[in-house]
Amino acid sequence: MYKSVHAWAFLAPAGLFLLVFSLGPAVAALILSFTSYNIFEPTEFVGFNNYMEVLKDSDFWRAMFNTFYYWILVTPALVVLPVFLAVLVNQALIGVKLFRLVFYFPALVSVVVTAFLWGWMFNSEGVLNYFLSIIGVEPVKWLTSKYVVMPSLAIVTVWQGLGYYMLFYLAGLQSVPEDLYEAAELDGAGFWRKHISITFPMLRPVIFFVAVVSTMSAFKEFTLMLTMVEGGPLGASTTVVYLVFDEAFKQLNMGYASAVSFLLFAVILALTLLNKRSLDRE
Amino acid sequence: MQTTSLPTARTSPSRRFWNKRKLLQHTVSYFFLVLFALIMVVPFLWTLSTSLKGQDEAIYSMPPKFIPQNFTLENFATVWNSLPIPLYIWNSLILSFFGVVLPLLFCSLAAFPLARMNFKGKQLVFLTIVATMMIPGEVTMIPVYLILNKLGLLGTFAGIILPGAVSAFGIFLMRQAFVGIPKEIEESAIIDGASVWRIWASILLPMVRPMLATLAILSFIGAWNNFLWPYLILEDDSQYPLTLGLYKLKGTFVTNTRLIAAGSILALLPILIVFVAFQNYFIKGAYSGAVKG
Repeated sequence: MYKSVHAWAFLAPAGLFLLVFSLGPAVAALILSFTSYNIFEPTEFVGFNNYMEVLKDSDFWRAMFNTFYYWILVTPALVVLPVFLAVLVNQALIGVKLFRLVFYFPALVSVVVTAFLWGWMFNSEGVLNYFLSIIGVEPVKWLTSKYVVMPSLAIVTVWQGLGYYMLFYLAGLQSVPEDLYEAAELDGAGFWRKHISITFPMLRPVIFFVAVVSTMSAFKEFTLMLTMVEGGPLGASTTVVYLVFDEAFKQLNMGYASAVSFLLFAVILALTLLNKRSLDRE
Repeated sequence: MQTTSLPTARTSPSRRFWNKRKLLQHTVSYFFLVLFALIMVVPFLWTLSTSLKGQDEAIYSMPPKFIPQNFTLENFATVWNSLPIPLYIWNSLILSFFGVVLPLLFCSLAAFPLARMNFKGKQLVFLTIVATMMIPGEVTMIPVYLILNKLGLLGTFAGIILPGAVSAFGIFLMRQAFVGIPKEIEESAIIDGASVWRIWASILLPMVRPMLATLAILSFIGAWNNFLWPYLILEDDSQYPLTLGLYKLKGTFVTNTRLIAAGSILALLPILIVFVAFQNYFIKGAYSGAVKG
């Protein structure tokens, strides 16, 4: 009843955009990574040179370290804590819908405003240091110490992601058949027992999903580092994508930067597969 | 999760037991709910209170003061009258308008044949679109910049709007919505001699309105909050959207935290309004996101 010319006519505009701004650029990035493209000099094909250079570059390894560090700070928290929140807001309590909205809202705040909000929280005389002073802890240099900056940024990311991932778990919880809990209660299972024996096993696919999504976004993060501390202090928060951004748009070494971005892409892919395999084996 | 009442025969002792247990569970739950809610809102409350503090009132104090002593709206007046904030908001609105309308149009166009037609190559097209969803924007960032340069779009709104005009994810969402419509509905329209475009525009589109709304809201949030592309390609500060404008203002010549706080509140307001008004669509969008994985 439809002709295939119609199909292509409907697909054409979107197809063109995806081709020009997504698929094409992905291929172009791969090609660029084998060239010396840097705007100033004529472009040459350099084979694996960029990759060799990157692997010898201590900045790259530091950025890789920072990225893994950030990931380890962020992802376990974002996989575990939202389960807890979801269980909390999945109860029939008065006002629970409002709590869901409050928990979710930070996910919608732009990175610039987030950076302002938390920059003030982290001020040497800010709210966080006040709370620490109550329990007798010395003021912390949240954003100006190269040892503390990553944990500080991780706090912001966790704050912003808790409610977002909570929604996925909430959807998972609501698909658990009610009678499983009822049967467990008749058998005398308490709050914790019920959740350990029913909720967590049932949530396993969601846990995997959240682990993958939060891993990918942790490995790609750099606008938070840019807006809050510009990759500093002393490069302590320069993640791999921050390095890509810096090399490409500040140093204008676009070929080199493309090689860095592809190495990161490979790492993300490997981690995702590893994650999937370990989950399958269980 | 909820227990229906237990068998009546043994009610009194076990009822009391259950109530006590429930009471404890509820108390603990509310404790944690309120604790987490506080963690979530404290940064916003601090910003709001700072934006309402007068020039002579300290911003930082031990303990922090969340209720301004000299409540004033003058920071908002200053931000509005002597900083280019109204212009930035206008730019954000223009970018958001196109950032919503173009994805709605192009994604729902492309989703129609993928959901309701049979044609050669359909499977391949669909798989390509799914694969496109996996490409991280960070990997394509450099080539997209170079393409915009070649097209002469650096420094223009089009350079921000066009790369975001179609998302594979949007096509995927709209396709899911179109798939759910019963076949009979278009069949009768075809017998009546309606053209393909009519069927798309006046029969199918109205039926996927909820998903259009979800996509519109997700696109709006993305466009209103967009920072990276304006940052990369805009040079003339009269073109800045609010996010970029605030970022540059803070970095350059506005040292008064109260003003930046007031500007932040202005940037948050539209998001908050849209969120409260359309909360259900957000939840739905998040769930559809889960399908994506």
